[in-house]
Amino acid sequence: MSEASIAACVKWVDLHPGVDPATALPEPSAHSWGFSEADRAALEVALRLAEARGTEAVVVCAGPLEARRCLAELAASGPARAVLVEHDHQSGPGTSGVVLAGVLGPRHLDVDLVVCGDMSNGRGSGSVPAVVAHHLGFAQALGLIELDPGPGTLRAVRRLDGARREVVSVDGPAVLSVEGSVAALRRAPLGAATSAAMTSEAVEVVRTDPHHAPERPTRVVPWRPPPRAVPAPHEADAFSRIVALTGAMADHSPPRSVEGTPEMAAELILEQLRTWGYLARDGEQT
Amino acid sequence: MTETTEFDAVVVGAGPAGAAAAFELARAGRSVALVERGPFPGSKNMYGGVVYGRILDTLIPRWWEEMPVQRWVTRRQTMLMTGHQALTIDYRTDTWGRPPYNGATAYRPDFDSWLADKAVQQGATLLCSTTVTGLLVEGGRTVGVRTDRPDGDLRAGVVIAADGVNSFLAKEAGLYGEVSADNYTVGVKETIALPREVIDERFAVRGDHGVDIEIIGCTGEVPGGGFLYTNADTVAVGLVLSLPALAAGGSRPEELLAALKAHPAVAPLVEGGEVKEYSAHVIPEAGYDMMPELVGDGLLVAGDAAAMCLAAGVWLEGVNFAIGSGAAAGRAAHAALRSGDTTAAGLAGYRTRLESSFVLADHRKLREAPHLVMGDLAQRQLPGLACDVAEAVFQVTNPDPKPGLVRIARKQIARHGLKLPTVARETIRALRAYG
Ligand SMILES: Cc1cc2nc3c(=O)[nH]c(=O)nc-3n(C[C@H](O)[C@H](O)[C@H](O)COP(=O)(O)OP(=O)(O)OC[C@H]3O[C@@H](n4cnc5c(N)ncnc54)[C@H](O)[C@@H]3O)c2cc1C
Repeated sequence: MSEASIAACVKWVDLHPGVDPATALPEPSAHSWGFSEADRAALEVALRLAEARGTEAVVVCAGPLEARRCLAELAASGPARAVLVEHDHQSGPGTSGVVLAGVLGPRHLDVDLVVCGDMSNGRGSGSVPAVVAHHLGFAQALGLIELDPGPGTLRAVRRLDGARREVVSVDGPAVLSVEGSVAALRRAPLGAATSAAMTSEAVEVVRTDPHHAPERPTRVVPWRPPPRAVPAPHEADAFSRIVALTGAMADHSPPRSVEGTPEMAAELILEQLRTWGYLARDGEQT
Repeated sequence: MTETTEFDAVVVGAGPAGAAAAFELARAGRSVALVERGPFPGSKNMYGGVVYGRILDTLIPRWWEEMPVQRWVTRRQTMLMTGHQALTIDYRTDTWGRPPYNGATAYRPDFDSWLADKAVQQGATLLCSTTVTGLLVEGGRTVGVRTDRPDGDLRAGVVIAADGVNSFLAKEAGLYGEVSADNYTVGVKETIALPREVIDERFAVRGDHGVDIEIIGCTGEVPGGGFLYTNADTVAVGLVLSLPALAAGGSRPEELLAALKAHPAVAPLVEGGEVKEYSAHVIPEAGYDMMPELVGDGLLVAGDAAAMCLAAGVWLEGVNFAIGSGAAAGRAAHAALRSGDTTAAGLAGYRTRLESSFVLADHRKLREAPHLVMGDLAQRQLPGLACDVAEAVFQVTNPDPKPGLVRIARKQIARHGLKLPTVARETIRALRAYG
């Protein structure tokens, strides 16, 4: 089996909790546990992406052991692997994302694309995709309403406020979250569904420490100088304050051409950044 | 991953009949798939609310210790009503609140899931969210079923159709003759939430004891009946209505149900509650007279699919008949598989088993009862007559002296446009029907 490189993350939730008429608090139902439409769409998207890229999809759920049977049934629809990360959602905010990232990261599944549903019905914070992206150091494209799973750069449409849309291109490792309308999960073939009904052993169970965040992978990325705080301008009128803030009328040091070794060039660039205040001089705080 | 699409038996429908059939087959060591279209057993099913559990004695010893029960019925009432009157026969006994009990209210999603789970514990494979779309037939013999899943054929030595009233499988196999709407009623029900203590107080019960009320005379121009059952913190109130009479127009089920809830004998029991659920389902009302052929080559039909619900006025029992027939189907299928003959002849033991059990014995004995209950006398005249007789007996009309009972009866019979010979004839008919 080749390494799976696309994962769908799903959350096992009570799809139709009752409501206590006296307290208006949700009451857990006995029978309607499963996965939200958005999570099911996430799995379908992962399957389509895997097909388009000639790779395999894995479905991952952070939840209690009781979720294993439902996950086995879900997994009958086609992913190469199903992994249950044993986890109690009560163990603290953000911990689901942490344990998921631990399993999705280079030490375990080593995926480079993660698809989540944008809603789990589980009254969670909705932060799992972002937490996973943070811990894996992946880009995020969240709240997608359209996605072209073809090979190459992924093009997707994101819902923005005010009925606006944003078209995003996703290149490289990323976490996507999709709305339930993006795709309908394919029906599991009868043989696979029957096997899943007979045993949930095909679901691998792993345990990780929810309080031990996975190390973020170190990656070589361009260095972007941090913003620097400047004192408020004291000029009397607004125009003068803008001029002072932007330095539009100030004398600028003209560009210089220097020749030298790469080390010397690097040293000159660093010196100039120190002059501008972007980098601290030795012994100084930025 | 191995893929399994062949079983000794396939049971279609994880209602009480299907679960009992799968239970018996799995207990006998057979591989059996229990196929259910709903996401879990009971998700598609509704009924009034009382399960008579003694039939479970043969399947699950001490079933009462684990069955998901709302309340044990210790109080049974039959209510005859008119628009403003009600005459109630009320029977209560604490004996029914102790093992082995009599009836219990239970929610179908809980009960059906529990029973199907028992079959799974015996080794059956429960396949939910899978609709059987037809029979697989080879050389005129049923050899499996088609489902709505990709690559969705399941092959089996025997198929048991426990797919409920309207069984498309029994019809596809040609086991039903001409189907008449006259044989069906539709049940509508509201589940109304009330605090537990309020139910205890209103129905005069304590702890896990509950009440079952059957009602006649509450359905206006439409032949039918009503019911009111107590659950732990809800009550179920509903009607069973003749399908052709409803279709003929005039009354709508929800209007009739609203009228029942507003009746002076019922309103104080349900008022202030919050409607949690409204549901409806068809009932095979005509019992023995509408039953299909029960056996085909490779095929058995059980439960409501074979019209085995007993709807005989004071008795509305379907779940126990479904379990009884399902279990018999499971045992007959196992015997046929063992003998290597699953043709109709090999499966004929099913009918014999049913005949020697309460299932067909009761149906045959009470064959006339459904017709009697839905007839004019029971529907139009009996409730008013009984209420008026009761009123005349209990009303004190001093300074006039009390009239004798016979005089009251004669007077009311005449007032209701009935003749004594007719009443005598119908009484004898009723005694015969229920004898
Ligand atoms: C209003 C009302 C009140 C009632 N009150 C009572 C009562 O108080 N007590 C009592 O004992 N009985 C009562 N009954 C009768 C009782 O509900 C039925 O007799 C009983 O449920 C029959 O059980 P069954 O297993 O044969 O069918 P069902 O319970 O109908 O189960 C059939 C199952 O088959 C499944 N199915 C159907 N077609 C397919 C398919 N193609 N593929 C896969 N699965 C399929 C269905 O989803 C369902 O789960 C009442 C019925 C009604 C409607």
